[in-house]
Amino acid sequence: MSKASLCLVLVASALVGCASDPVPSEQLRLTEQTLTQVRALNISAGQSAALAQAEDKFAAAQRAMDKGRYRRARILAEQAELDARLAEAEHLHGTSQEQLSALQGSIQQLRKQLGALQ
Amino acid sequence: MNKWLLAPLLMLGLSGCSSLSSTDQQLLGEAQAGFNRIKNDADILRAAPKDVVRASESLARAERLASYWGSAEDVRHYAYLSQRYGEIARQHSLTLLNQERLAQLELERQRLQLTLREAQLLNVQQQTAWLAEQMALLQGVEGERGLVMTLGDVLFEVGAAELLPAASRTLLQVAHFLQMHPKRRVRIEGYTDNTGSVDFNLQLSRARAQSVADLLQDLGIGAERIEVVGHGIAFPVAENASSRGRAQNRRVEIVFSDEQGRLSAER
Repeated sequence: MSKASLCLVLVASALVGCASDPVPSEQLRLTEQTLTQVRALNISAGQSAALAQAEDKFAAAQRAMDKGRYRRARILAEQAELDARLAEAEHLHGTSQEQLSALQGSIQQLRKQLGALQ
Repeated sequence: MNKWLLAPLLMLGLSGCSSLSSTDQQLLGEAQAGFNRIKNDADILRAAPKDVVRASESLARAERLASYWGSAEDVRHYAYLSQRYGEIARQHSLTLLNQERLAQLELERQRLQLTLREAQLLNVQQQTAWLAEQMALLQGVEGERGLVMTLGDVLFEVGAAELLPAASRTLLQVAHFLQMHPKRRVRIEGYTDNTGSVDFNLQLSRARAQSVADLLQDLGIGAERIEVVGHGIAFPVAENASSRGRAQNRRVEIVFSDEQGRLSAER
């Protein structure tokens, strides 16, 4: 084998690596499922940067799938899944924060009423 | 294998360490720093142990890939995932802490509510007892008129019908009493001493009684439950000869009806 042909083999095998990525349809399904769950929380579009990122990346992942760029599609879909989960976690935190404020308010109100009596 | 083949292989291996751009190195560094922050946070470990493990695994992957040639995109990807897992874990821990605080505060709220209810009850009992005491004192004197409460001279400016602030407190309690006994009615009677003309005193006594009635209405007692009468210099309770006796005669009396709303006959 000549030097040149050996180099060609090396380069070719590097290129083959990209093409042999598995089709990430399972990951896309999982991401879509997560997104559906998070959308059901009715977080408004401007409210969550993480959800907006998730939507953008999921759309990009689908486009990458259509073009056969499976590796890119997998990466985007995995990130979109976590973006969506972060949006969900932030939403839960926000909700608990609101509950906390409401409860603190009602306690303050009770204290005031009690103070007025004493 | 000849040395011509070894050279490019060696180069590939060596270039591994320097394959990351400085931006990617920085991203990896940030992911490492982020993970160091969460891994020592007991609340985060408690709230989201699985996410912490995933953050750790993703970071390890990014670190491993960082030494391979041509893996910059994967390094960025796993560093990103590690950061995201960390943020998710942090949000979960904040939520958990809030939930624990909510449970504590809910108990506090219930305790406060109970205390408030007890205090209100006590207050009502005290007011009722106080009023009953007032009434019992006067009942001996004016038994046939029903329950009568006397508001002394000190509640008005001399010669004027406007109530002084001190009157509000007493009348607030009267209003409470009437709110608790919605069928009871009152007749507010004004009296004066004998200084000045009879007409002036009649008008003044009526105006003072009306001031009391107005305040009770402001405090939410319906006008239909309140009668207003001015008696002027009539029905003194003490001699007008002394200043002390005159002060006792300058008064407003609140006559309470019975529980059914029946008032004693007007004088």
